[in-house]
Amino acid sequence: MSEPLLLAEDLHRSYQMGRFELHVLRGCQLRLAAGEFIAIMGKSGSGKSTLLHILGALDVPQKGQVLFGGAPVFAPSQRRRLRTGLTDVFSAAERRRIQFRAHAFGFVFQFYHLLPELNVLENVLLTRMVGTPTWSWRTVRAAARRDALEVVTRVGLAERLKHRPNELSGGERQRVAIARALVHKPRILFADEPTGNLDAEAGRTIMELVAELHREGQTIVLVTHDPGIARYADRVLLLEEGRLRPAPPS
Amino acid sequence: MYKLFLTLRYLRKRRIAYFAIAAVMLCVAMVLIVLSVMGGWLEMVKKQARGLLGDVIVDNRAYPGFPLYQEFIDAISTWPEIVKATPVIYTYGLFHFGQTEQSGMVRVVGVRLHDVYEVNAFKPSLFYERYYPGTTHLGEQGQPLGGWVPVIEGGHDSNTVILLPRLPSPYQDALEQARRQHAEHARQTGGDPLLRASDEVETPLSKALHEHDQPPIPGYYASNNDGDEPKITEDLRPGLILGRDIVAKRESDGRYDRYYPRGTLVDVTLLNTSIRARVDPVPILQRFRYVDDSRTGIYDIDSQHVYCDFDLLQKLLEMGPAARADGSGVAPARCSQIQIKVKGGLDGAALRKLTERLREKYLSFLDDPRFSLDLTDRKLISRIEAVTWQQSQAHIIAPVEKEKILVTILFGIISLVAVALILCILYMIVLQKTRDIGIVKALGGSSGGVALIFVIYGAAVGITGSILGTVFGTLVVKYINEIQDFLISINPRWRVWDLQVYSFDRIPSEVDPWDALFVVLAAIAASTIGSLAAAWRAGTMQPVEAIRHE
Repeated sequence: MSEPLLLAEDLHRSYQMGRFELHVLRGCQLRLAAGEFIAIMGKSGSGKSTLLHILGALDVPQKGQVLFGGAPVFAPSQRRRLRTGLTDVFSAAERRRIQFRAHAFGFVFQFYHLLPELNVLENVLLTRMVGTPTWSWRTVRAAARRDALEVVTRVGLAERLKHRPNELSGGERQRVAIARALVHKPRILFADEPTGNLDAEAGRTIMELVAELHREGQTIVLVTHDPGIARYADRVLLLEEGRLRPAPPS
Repeated sequence: MYKLFLTLRYLRKRRIAYFAIAAVMLCVAMVLIVLSVMGGWLEMVKKQARGLLGDVIVDNRAYPGFPLYQEFIDAISTWPEIVKATPVIYTYGLFHFGQTEQSGMVRVVGVRLHDVYEVNAFKPSLFYERYYPGTTHLGEQGQPLGGWVPVIEGGHDSNTVILLPRLPSPYQDALEQARRQHAEHARQTGGDPLLRASDEVETPLSKALHEHDQPPIPGYYASNNDGDEPKITEDLRPGLILGRDIVAKRESDGRYDRYYPRGTLVDVTLLNTSIRARVDPVPILQRFRYVDDSRTGIYDIDSQHVYCDFDLLQKLLEMGPAARADGSGVAPARCSQIQIKVKGGLDGAALRKLTERLREKYLSFLDDPRFSLDLTDRKLISRIEAVTWQQSQAHIIAPVEKEKILVTILFGIISLVAVALILCILYMIVLQKTRDIGIVKALGGSSGGVALIFVIYGAAVGITGSILGTVFGTLVVKYINEIQDFLISINPRWRVWDLQVYSFDRIPSEVDPWDALFVVLAAIAASTIGSLAAAWRAGTMQPVEAIRHE
C-alpha cells in the first residue's frame, strides 16, 4: 500500500460539559491518499467537525497523532494541553501547526466566514498575505494577486471582485470561501458542511465545483450529514461512537 | 503584511475607533495646552526673576550690610565679564499717604537709579519713565500740576480757541518727545502711531482730552487749582518709586486704576538699626514724593517694595562712613547687597564659577593692609556670598516649577481615562471580531501575528490621536489669547486668565517642541499599553473556539 498523504491514528477528544466529560472521538483512525475525495457523515453532535478540525490542525487531540506526508502535525506536549498559554503562543509546536494551516491545508466552512470589511478579491488575497512573511510580501504581491484573480475567475466571480460579502448571495459567498481556500494551492481541502447553509440549487453548484476540483487532482475531506452530497465523494465514512467506519452502501 | 492591512482596514471601517482617536486627541491637546501655558508661565517668571536683581548678587544676609562695597565694585569693574555693578540698601519701613490714610509695611530699597537701569530690568518696569523719559529721578522735586492752556481748534485759520489740559515743563516736553519717537517707530514697524497707555484706567484729564480729539496724557496728574497755568510746586521732596500694587488697583482686564496723582506726598517711617543689629528706639521719618510706580510682575515685590535714593537711605540709616566709638578710626560705609550685570551668554556653570571668584575677591579684602577693619566689619565680610540669579530667586521660580510638574502629573493621570477607553474599545472590537480572529488563524495566522494586529491598532490610534491632538493643542495655545478675547466679547465674566490674579497680561502661548514630543510619545505608549489586554485575548484565542463563536 502506498504512503498515505494524511494518516490519523487513535485520535481522542473530549469536552468538559459542566461536571460531565463528553467523549467525542474515541480512537478514531483515517487513511487519506493523495487525490482522494472522502466524505465523513454522521449525526449531529457525533464529532464530524471536531475530527475535521483536528485533521486540519485547527484543534488539538488529547491523544493520538495526525501524520501529514509522514510528518507529525502535533507535538506531544500540545496534545496534553488544550488551552493556549504564554509559552504555547510562541512555541515551536504552535509554529509547526500554523505552517500546516498556512501552506498545506485549505478550509471551507458552513457559514462561509468571510471578513465583512474586505471585498471578494481581498478576502481571497488574505490567505496569501497570511502565509507570506512581511519582508517578502513585496516580491510576491503581483503573483499573489494574479493567483487570486485566477481562482476568483475559476469560481465564476470575476465580475464581483470589488463586492463585499454582504452584497453577495449565499452561494456566491461560499464560492468566495472556496476560492480563498484554494488560492495557496493546498494539498488538502477541508470542507465542513459547505452546502449546509445553501438552497438546493446553490448547493448543487457548489458541489459540482468541488467535484471538478477533485477531478483535477485536489485531495478533499468533506463533512456532511446529507447523503446526496456525500455521493460526490470517492469514499464515504460514517462517524459513530467516536470511530470511523465505512458507510453502508445507500 | 496582513497585520498592517487588517489594522488599517479596521481603523477605517470600525467607527468606534474614531471615539478612541478623539479621546487620545483631546488628552494630548489638554496636556499640551497645560504644559505650554505652565511652561510659558515658568519661562516668564524666570525672565522676570532674572530682571529683578541682575545676573549675580553679592550679599551677606545680615541686616547691617557689609563694608568696602565701593572698593569691591571698583576692583571688579576691570574684569572682562562684568558689565556693571551697583550697591543696594534694604531696610523696612511704614509708608503713609496722608491724602487717604493708606499705610502699610514695605521693604525700602535704596538704589542708584541710573546704575540700576544698567544692571537689571528695573527701568522697563517703571510707568512714568516710559511715557515721560528722563523725568523719573529720586532727587528732590516738586509736584507737577496740570493746567489749562488756550489752543486754536481746527488749525490757525480757525477763530475757535479752547482750553486744553497741559503738563508743566519738562513733563510735557518729555511726553511730546516720547510721542515723536513712538510715531517714528510705528512708521517703521507699522504699529499704532499714537502713544497711549493701554494698561491704565481713563482719568478726568484724559477724558477731557479725548472729547476734543486730543491724544491722552498717560498717568494721573493733579490739576493746578491756583490758576490756569501748569506748574511744579515749590515744596521739594526726594522722589520715591512705589510698587504698582501699592498705588494702583489692578482691574480684571489688566488695566490699572491709580489712587494718587504723580508727585503726591508720602511719608515713610524707617526702622533704624546699629551695626550690631540693635533697633534704634527713635524711628526715622522721611517725607517723599511719589514719582513713579514699578511693576515687575511678581506680586510680592510690587505690593511690598518702595525705592529711594541710595545715598539718602544710607545717610538716614547711618550706614555711611563714620568715626568709630572707640576712636580706632573711621568705619567704612556699608550697603546690603551688590547687584552685578555680566556679559551676555554667561550662564550655568560659567556663572557659578564667576560667583566663586567674586566671593574669593571679597574675602581677599580681609587680608588687604589698605583697609582698617574692626572685628564686626571682618565678621560681616566673612559672611559674604555671591549667588547667581537662579539661586537668589529660587523661592520665586521653584514653586512655579513644582506647580508645572504637579499640574502635568494631574492631567496625565486624567489622561489615563483615554487609556482605559482604548482598552475598552479594543476589547470590544476583539469580542466583535472573535470569528474573524478564528478565520485568520485558520488561514495560518500566528497567535503573535493576531495579537500584533491589535497592538498596531492601539499604536495607530495613539499616533493618529496624538498627531491630531498636537495640531489642535498647538492651535489652541497659539490663539489662546484670541480665544479668551472672543469669550470676553460674548460675556466679560468668561475671562479665564484673570489679570487681578495673574501678574502677566497675556496667557503664555508658546509650545515647546520637546514638550510636544514628550506628550506624543507618552500618548502612543499609553495607547499601545491600552491595547495589550485585547491583543492578549486575541492572541491566545483558539481558532476552533473563535470560529464557533456566536
